[in-house]
Amino acid sequence: MKFKNANEIKISISSLIWLTLFFVIPTIIVVLISFRNSDPSGGIGVGWSIDGFADVFNPSFGMILWRTVRLSLITTVICLSLAMPVSIYMAKAEEKIQNWLLLLIAIPFWTNFLIRVYAWKIVLHPEGLVKRLFLTLGLVSENASLLYNEGAVLLVLVYTYLPFAILPLYTAIEKFDFRLIEAARDLGSGQIRSFIKVFLPGISQGIISAIMVVFIPALGSYVIPDMVGGPDGEMLGNKIAQRVFVDRNLPKGSGLSTLLILAVILPGLIRVVYKKIKPISATPLNRKINSYLTKSKSKS
Amino acid sequence: MENITKIVKTFFITTLLLWITIFSGCSSEKKELYIYNWSDYMDENLVKQFETENSCKIILDFFDSNETMYAKLKAGAAGYDIVFPSGYMVNVMSKEGILLKLDHSKIPNLKNLDEKYIEFSLDKNQEFSVPYMISNTGIGYLKSKVQENFEPSWNIFADSKYKGRMTMLNDMREAIGAALKYLGYSINTTNPVELEKAKNVLIGWKKNLAKFEADQYKNGLVSGEFYFSQGYSGDIFQVMTENKDIRYAIPKEGTTLSSDNMVILKSSKNVELAYKFINFMLDGKVSAQNIEYVHYLAPNKEAYQYLSDDIKIDPAILMPDHVLKRCEVLIDLGKENALYSKIWDQVKSAK
Repeated sequence: MKFKNANEIKISISSLIWLTLFFVIPTIIVVLISFRNSDPSGGIGVGWSIDGFADVFNPSFGMILWRTVRLSLITTVICLSLAMPVSIYMAKAEEKIQNWLLLLIAIPFWTNFLIRVYAWKIVLHPEGLVKRLFLTLGLVSENASLLYNEGAVLLVLVYTYLPFAILPLYTAIEKFDFRLIEAARDLGSGQIRSFIKVFLPGISQGIISAIMVVFIPALGSYVIPDMVGGPDGEMLGNKIAQRVFVDRNLPKGSGLSTLLILAVILPGLIRVVYKKIKPISATPLNRKINSYLTKSKSKS
Repeated sequence: MENITKIVKTFFITTLLLWITIFSGCSSEKKELYIYNWSDYMDENLVKQFETENSCKIILDFFDSNETMYAKLKAGAAGYDIVFPSGYMVNVMSKEGILLKLDHSKIPNLKNLDEKYIEFSLDKNQEFSVPYMISNTGIGYLKSKVQENFEPSWNIFADSKYKGRMTMLNDMREAIGAALKYLGYSINTTNPVELEKAKNVLIGWKKNLAKFEADQYKNGLVSGEFYFSQGYSGDIFQVMTENKDIRYAIPKEGTTLSSDNMVILKSSKNVELAYKFINFMLDGKVSAQNIEYVHYLAPNKEAYQYLSDDIKIDPAILMPDHVLKRCEVLIDLGKENALYSKIWDQVKSAK
């Protein structure tokens, strides 16, 4: 990290200390524990070993990892496709409406996350209204449960992370100069083409942030599959919890956590590399538009 | 903001009051006994009775799991006299050398203990611990969903009629234990063949389960979400008052028993009073009153005669001999726990 001046250091020092104390150091401890021997009474044993990573060769590991990644990816795709039209509408709306909409998105955060998941359990309760409605419509059987399956997990995941997708997208779109689209249309680009070639690259930073704030926490989901998931719905987070609380094997729990940390860092690294090798304005169409805008500016 | 100031104020005042009580306690001549117990696990009227009889003061503190309690004691929490750990934790603590070796001449009421249940104790000679309560694992169910002559068996989980409306404990020893019991094996077996068979039974059951659930099954039974839940006796007795349809039964194949025990810490400053308290809890009448309150069974021969009729005939509290014979206590298997972990992983990932 490069600091331009002393002020910048002053401003970032508190958050740096915070991150080091509560993120970097604990993460390092977790990684270190994963290389220790386990102790049958639940502690950390003496000596070093790679047994903490033995789970990688456990046949159930691949399945759980795949389920975790798959659910997280689907969540990300659904969240983004729902968030996109909402954010565009919000960015284009009048300021007064904009503020109201922002408030509506923020309101759920005033309620504790666990309570909101419980609320879903009530909504989807087998004796609840939704189930009754489905029953009258003949969609489900009397003893069926809407809860405790993968669909319920996905629904609550999308519900939980949708606001996190909307906010960065909205911020990016609000800054986006919609005249660029008009310019592209003037130059003969179709509606879809200008959306893909001009609009999406223009808000790419927002899209990347949205993907990261949805995908990464979704990977670490633990409470949602635990509460609304069925006996088949285990995700990596639940396995880590089992290793720590049930099996009392801290190194194995840490081993899984380390793998999860790696999986989380990877997209970040890709982003950094991506940013370095691909400046956004380099596409031919963008170049054309830029020159067009400069020209029209110099004319006026 | 007003609320916050209010909260802060209340907090300060209560803390202040707490300190005042603690220090005023010190300055008076009254002796004090510090007890560390599970919450809701003792009739407070008995505490008051003991205080008056012995002109002393009892300070109660609570824990929610053996691990929390042990961690706190290990971290150096001093001052407790009597603690109520479960059986396996007594072993851990006595190995650690923090328990006082009991002098039986100071607990004459030990003679009241019911030998039938002492069999299940991991400390059969009461060297370090005295059994306090026995609890068991069974099935909580909704009476309206079963037939009149319902005979509880672990195999209820194989009934696909109730698919999606049943839960088993999210605890590998209890869940695998139920399958082992159903097959007639010991819940502490380390025989791979038996475990393999139990695994297959459990995988069959799993297909009908809503989920493996360690805590929320109580609320599920109350709200009618679940029809059958494997659960702990005390948990289910607690929610029976909220839904009159809930019943509790011990499967005919037998089940797991667990015991909580009274121990005196070596660091206790008031050993004599601690002995007196344990002796008091073993008194027949006191014990009976306590059973009525917590709905677990204190293994005390002298107490049974004082019990009210509905407790006396409740097979989930005073278990019939033929069921009791098939029950076992979970023993901490140390390294062998890995056998169970492996099977639990396979069960959880099985399709």
